[in-house]
Amino acid sequence: MTGSTRQSGTGDRAGAPPRNTGCYVYGILPEDVEISEDAVGVGDPPARVTIVRHGEIGALISDVDVDRPLGRAQDLVAHERLLDEVAAEVPVLPLRFGAVMTTPEAVVEELLAPHHDSFAAALKQMEGRTQYVLKARYAEQPVLLEVLTENAEAKALRERIRQLPEEVTRNERIRLGELITQIIAAKREADTRAVVERFESCTVGTVVRDPSHERDAAHVAFLVENDRAADFERAVGELRSEWGDRVDVRLLGPMAPYDFVTT
Amino acid sequence: MTVAVPPAGGGGLPGRSSGSGLADVIDTILDKGLVIDAYVRVSLVGIEILTIDVRVVIASVDTYLRFAEAVNRLDLASQKQGLPDLLSSAPQSVARGKTKGVVQGVLEAAGEKLQDIRESYADEPAPRTRRRRREED
Repeated sequence: MTGSTRQSGTGDRAGAPPRNTGCYVYGILPEDVEISEDAVGVGDPPARVTIVRHGEIGALISDVDVDRPLGRAQDLVAHERLLDEVAAEVPVLPLRFGAVMTTPEAVVEELLAPHHDSFAAALKQMEGRTQYVLKARYAEQPVLLEVLTENAEAKALRERIRQLPEEVTRNERIRLGELITQIIAAKREADTRAVVERFESCTVGTVVRDPSHERDAAHVAFLVENDRAADFERAVGELRSEWGDRVDVRLLGPMAPYDFVTT
Repeated sequence: MTVAVPPAGGGGLPGRSSGSGLADVIDTILDKGLVIDAYVRVSLVGIEILTIDVRVVIASVDTYLRFAEAVNRLDLASQKQGLPDLLSSAPQSVARGKTKGVVQGVLEAAGEKLQDIRESYADEPAPRTRRRRREED
C-alpha cells in the first residue's frame, strides 16, 4: 500500500465548491485557557487550532478536510504533540485520535453542553497532574542468558538443537521459543508488579498497559502530581541504574492523561 | 495576566530517552483517551481513518522460532563481556523486523520519516497555551 493521496476528482473547480470540512476535536480543557496563534494540528497543511467554549470548559478543535482520510504519521504526531504540550501547562482530557464532528457548534451542543459537569469535574481532578509512561524492555541477550541459566529444559533444548541439523529440530525450536516466551511473561509479571509498587508512593494513579513487545518487562502509565514529577523522574533514574544492561528503560512524558480518562 | 510557560517539547531531563517513536504514539492515541462516539453520535462525521491496528503482542510460531534462533546464536562463553556494546547498537522503537507486530504498511513506511518530522518540530517555539487569571481582582 502506498501513501498516495491522488485526488479522484476531475479537477473541475469552476464552481469553487466550498471544501468539505469537519471539526476535529483534540481534547477538553478549562474555559480560561487560551491557545497561541501558531498552534497547529492535523491536516496538510496543518490546520490552526482554536478553542470553542461552553460554561467552564472548552474544546481544542481545528478544521479538517473530511474528503481525505486521516492517520498519516504527521497527523498522529500532531494530535499527540498538541495535547502533550497543552498538558504540560494546563489540565486537558485527551480524545482518542480521529474524533471529527460536523461544526464547532455541534461540538458545543452535543459534546460540551451535555457533559459539562462531568468534564469539569474530571478537569478538576487532573489539575496539576500529568501522565508518564514507563516502557521497560528486556535486552535480548541478557534475558536469554537468564532463561538458559534458570531453566534446565531450555538449556537442554538448546544443546539438542545445536547438535542436530536444522531440518530435524523444528519442533524443538518451537518448543524452546514457547518456553522462552512463557518464562519472559512470568518475569514481566513479576517486574511489572515490582514497578507498580515501587512508584506507588510518588504517583497518584497507575494503569498497567498490555505489553507492546514480546520482550517488554513493564509497560505502565502513571499519573503524577506536578510537584512530585522530579521525585518520580529521580525514582525512574534509580530503577534504570539498578536494572543496568538487563533492561532498557524509557520514560515518555509528561503527556496528556490518555490512560486516566474513562468514558 | 498570563502565565509564563517553559518551552515544552520535553527537553532537558537527565537520563531520559529523547522523543517518542511512532510506535509510542500509536500505543497511546489510538486506543487510549476519551472516545467521542460514546458520548455523541448525531453529528459525528464518518471520516475515514487510515487502517491502523493497534499493535498486539501475539505469541506465534514465528516469535518462537525467532527466540530459538536468538538463543542458538548466543555464544555462552563470550557472553560475560562485551554485551553493552552489542546492545547499544540496537535501534530503538520505530521500525522493527518484519515479523514484528501488525502496524500496517502505511504506518511502517511513515515510521521511517517520523524521526525527521519530530526533529523538524523540535526547533519551533513550543508554548501553546496560557491561562487567564481565574478570578478578576
